Amino acid sequence: MTATDTAPAAPAAPDKPVTPSSGARSPRRWSMLFMASPPVLLVLVFVGIPIVIGIAFTLGYTGGLNSIASMLSVSVYTANGWMPSLAAYGNVLSSERFRSDLGVTIWVTVLTVAIVLVLAWCIALYARLSGGRLGKMLSGIAIIPLFIPVVIGAYAIRQFYLNTGFLVSLGRQFGIQLPSWSYHTPGIVIGQVWVSLPFAVLLISSGLAAVPNALIDAARDAGASLGRSVWSVMVPMTTIPTVIVATFTAVGVMGSFTVPYMIGPTSPNMLGVTLQATFVAYLRPQDAQVIAVVLFVLAAGIGALYVWANARASRSSAVQL
Amino acid sequence: MTAVEVQQTPTAPEAAAAPAGTGGLLRRVLGRIVVGVLAVVLLVFILGPLVWMALVAFSKRWKAPALLPQSWTLDAWRNVFTTTPLGHAFMLSLIFAVAATLGSALICLPAAYAIGRSNFPGRRVILLGLFATNAFPKMGLFTSIATLFYGLHLMNTALGVVIVQLLGTVVIMTWIPSAAFAAVPPSLIEAARDAGAGPLRVFFTVTLRLAAPGISVALILAFLACFDEAQGSYLVGAPTYITMPTQMYSLVENYPEQAAAVFALVLTVPSVLLLLLVRKHVMGGHLAEGFQLR
Repeated sequence: MTATDTAPAAPAAPDKPVTPSSGARSPRRWSMLFMASPPVLLVLVFVGIPIVIGIAFTLGYTGGLNSIASMLSVSVYTANGWMPSLAAYGNVLSSERFRSDLGVTIWVTVLTVAIVLVLAWCIALYARLSGGRLGKMLSGIAIIPLFIPVVIGAYAIRQFYLNTGFLVSLGRQFGIQLPSWSYHTPGIVIGQVWVSLPFAVLLISSGLAAVPNALIDAARDAGASLGRSVWSVMVPMTTIPTVIVATFTAVGVMGSFTVPYMIGPTSPNMLGVTLQATFVAYLRPQDAQVIAVVLFVLAAGIGALYVWANARASRSSAVQL
Repeated sequence: MTAVEVQQTPTAPEAAAAPAGTGGLLRRVLGRIVVGVLAVVLLVFILGPLVWMALVAFSKRWKAPALLPQSWTLDAWRNVFTTTPLGHAFMLSLIFAVAATLGSALICLPAAYAIGRSNFPGRRVILLGLFATNAFPKMGLFTSIATLFYGLHLMNTALGVVIVQLLGTVVIMTWIPSAAFAAVPPSLIEAARDAGAGPLRVFFTVTLRLAAPGISVALILAFLACFDEAQGSYLVGAPTYITMPTQMYSLVENYPEQAAAVFALVLTVPSVLLLLLVRKHVMGGHLAEGFQLR
């Protein structure tokens, strides 16, 4: 995932796009709705339908559009008439492999989000407060992975942390045995942080840039220490970008394939890799679909957090200007 | 390439207002050292792997604990261009990416205009709905799509790959341009109308021209998203259609390390060049600005 994962951006000022003359005339409104419909249809057909039939597939409805996938499967559980079958879920959820992979996925996601948030905050805050050349340089460096295709980044990271790579070699120059992180879970986290950092730094820096200097100065004048004015002025005003970064990073990491596939161990690995292998190598599309549903449910929880943060933001936007 | 330089960098509130005296000086020097060390760690963390890979691409013999290759060669470059399917994969990537980007522009830009310039019923629902495509974990979505593609006989077809790549660009192609359209001042449009310009003329000479930077950022980001897309193209296209990023998956297992490094460097070139073109706009906030849904 390169720019795909990190690129979504909302219209800058969707509150005010209404041209004064347009609102009242309803024919124009309907033609606008018509103009806006093609991407919606596209998404409905190629995202909405797949998810619906995918869920139907996991419940044992193997006919219709699912029939070819069922034909290609090693085995499928079939619904008993109209009664859905939960056998596929039982089969996947009880497997040892799935459980350990789920554990790895959750751990990697939580760790990556935590590390990315801390790093991005440190970099953005330093750049904002010092305002110097070093600060600019640091945030510039942190954005470089945005320019590199993920496949390449992941491959380069794997070679870098191999036992013939830079880190281990550097340690051996000084007689220290450093661990080789490639093909191990820490390597996955390193790769995920590398890939996710640019988006986080971009959003948090722009959030911090929006905090007026006057507010910080006022807090300082009132006797607040630097730490205190960061904590009680800058942090609250940057909550929304932080939540956005956390949710996007979490969803991106959870559904990722390339980074864990390239850097991670054979097993246990993240669910994205298991999913692909279950589908392509083990020829069990139904089981793969069950794993996908599990990922969707996890993402939905995270998405709810995002929507909540946005709702809160629009309620308080009157205060924030 | 800095994030902050373009956002009217505010003058820093005096961060270093440490109390005077030796304690303050010591603290300041210590602070400098800590920042310096962290900066070096960040530099190695981000750039180290890329530099290491670039060195591998030119290395002939490199025995493990050494920090530099013992001898150098350009053989890997010659081998990659002659023995790997580089040219074919590159052309394929290019064709798919161009097709998907154009398709995406055709489908999404009118919608972006509508969303940016008017407030029709359901506008917010549409914005959220499009956004939802990004809220699904990628690999889960791709296997769901693959199940549908089997049913529609789109697996292992060029159209299937183009559709998968296009789906990844919908959000970029609607949100960024609609922000650009929304930012065109209505007063300018009315001035042009008052001066007697027809609606089409106003659109092409005022609205489109002012929105052009945002649209071009979206086009380039979408093209790169397609060009670099690996997971979906791999699942839907392989083994019939192997684009450059999907080729990487097999290349790293089946070719010497040097060949993979060279291939990787070649694949990086278009992204770096195109992103440098729009660097200012991306950093300037087309990406980050007003990220909230409202």
